[in-house]
Amino acid sequence: MSPRLRRVGERWLPWTAAWLLLAFLFVPVLVVVPVALTAKDYLSLPTTGISFQHFASLADWRAGWLPSILTSLGIALASSIVATGVSAAFAIGAWVYAGRWPSILRIILLSPLIVPPIIYAVGMVRLWSKLSLLDSWLGVTIVHVILAMPLAVLAIGASLSNLDPRLVQAARSLGARPPTVFGKVILPNILPGTIAGAILAFIVSWDEITVTLFITSRRLVTLPRKIWTSIADAVDPALAAIATVMLVVTIICLLLRMTVWERLAQRRS
Amino acid sequence: MFAMSSFQRWAFGLTVPAALLTICLYVVPILQVLALSFTEPTFGIGNYVEMFGSAAIGRVVRTTIIVAAVTTALTIVMSYAVAFALVHMRPGVRRVALFMVMVPFWVSVLVRAFAWITILRRNGVLNSALVGSGAIAEPLELVYNQFGVIVGMVHYMMPFAILLLYANLSEIDPRIIQAARSLGARPVTIFTRVWLPLSVPGLAIASLFIVIFSLGFLVTPAILGAGRVLMVAEYISVQISSTLRWGVATALSTTLLLVVGVLVAVAARSPALRAAFEGGRR
Repeated sequence: MSPRLRRVGERWLPWTAAWLLLAFLFVPVLVVVPVALTAKDYLSLPTTGISFQHFASLADWRAGWLPSILTSLGIALASSIVATGVSAAFAIGAWVYAGRWPSILRIILLSPLIVPPIIYAVGMVRLWSKLSLLDSWLGVTIVHVILAMPLAVLAIGASLSNLDPRLVQAARSLGARPPTVFGKVILPNILPGTIAGAILAFIVSWDEITVTLFITSRRLVTLPRKIWTSIADAVDPALAAIATVMLVVTIICLLLRMTVWERLAQRRS
Repeated sequence: MFAMSSFQRWAFGLTVPAALLTICLYVVPILQVLALSFTEPTFGIGNYVEMFGSAAIGRVVRTTIIVAAVTTALTIVMSYAVAFALVHMRPGVRRVALFMVMVPFWVSVLVRAFAWITILRRNGVLNSALVGSGAIAEPLELVYNQFGVIVGMVHYMMPFAILLLYANLSEIDPRIIQAARSLGARPVTIFTRVWLPLSVPGLAIASLFIVIFSLGFLVTPAILGAGRVLMVAEYISVQISSTLRWGVATALSTTLLLVVGVLVAVAARSPALRAAFEGGRR
């Protein structure tokens, strides 16, 4: 092999491949933006002019997008609050408790990360139809709490593993009662992890589709469910508009996290 | 339990709500799925006999295995290339590259599947561009077949794999690489004899996760396959929502759970994965 060819093989080929693959990940997602701006009423690139009519149809209550956004927001808020509370209690209890029980329970708690959600969906359809909780707020919220707990437990657990156990010993030796130790010593120290857990739990619920698909039908339409039916039914550009909104929100959140979060971390250290 | 200190009793009490929730509303429903596969519609192993004898289910299983295997192989190779480049980037450039990984990672799976339909469909973005430029005369069939499903699945899995592999690669001590270089090893030798062997734990964990996610994946195969690429999860979903064959659906679910369980049990022998699952305790 000539030196020049070798240089190409060792230096330029890996970099070109990596950037092409990054483009494969990033660029296709962006395609929803031009499609959302089309002036036609079917899925197409805006070749004959740009229009915001499909964004306007998102705001139209009768089109169903706005109600489903509010439904998803409500369920995600409720399940995030419950999942975070239960997970924080568990993580703190497991951190303090000496014995095998928490590590066994932890494996069961984290199993939704691995067990395919379709299996859980099959089980919940049976259970909820027996308890008449199909297509109900309560039924969906409970399922989302269960599915959100693993990530909340992981986030809060990560925060706890940085906590010095001597802090708890000091508080106890100074005569603090158990509720004081848990609420006023441990909890404030793991607040960042708890907030991260709450955000992750919110996102899990907001995005959940597989199980929700089976335990809801007409009455309770979450945003993912509405998107799912629209993809299956027709090719409405409003779909591209909602996808664009979700993409823009994701990008804004990521940029905020990359800038604000890092600045906060720098200031603290 | 009565010998516990008041402090330990409180700690135990804090774990109870999570325990009740997961056991009653996660473990029990799944155990019921396992039980139903032996009792619905009649008691016995009839569902499993039917499952292993059915040509339709055989096709579904074959499709699932092929798609999962191809997806995993492509995802791992492509993600490793990206993760390897990430480790070697200057911090500023790396932030841009990581951003390009994080956006698809956090965007809803439905938005991504929809984007791929817009691109790959018969009169979609790609076909219009190719026909318009004269590269091809007839639009290509790029979606609603195995090709489209695999493209969508690889795109879904890659960010996971990249982040796992990147975490693994950035833990490799740079002094090992320097040592290899100072001893006169060529870049290709350093890659095959140093980087690759040290990446084996990361590659193993990433492959495990991708295989498990792929085997039970519903959303992307259902949307990009549109019923023409029937995989296990979608087949189960059809059984419980349209044809109401609960026995077959639960038997397939049980088998899927068993396969996932065996894969995890095999992987649990690796110390890295065990640490990931048992971490968080003092």
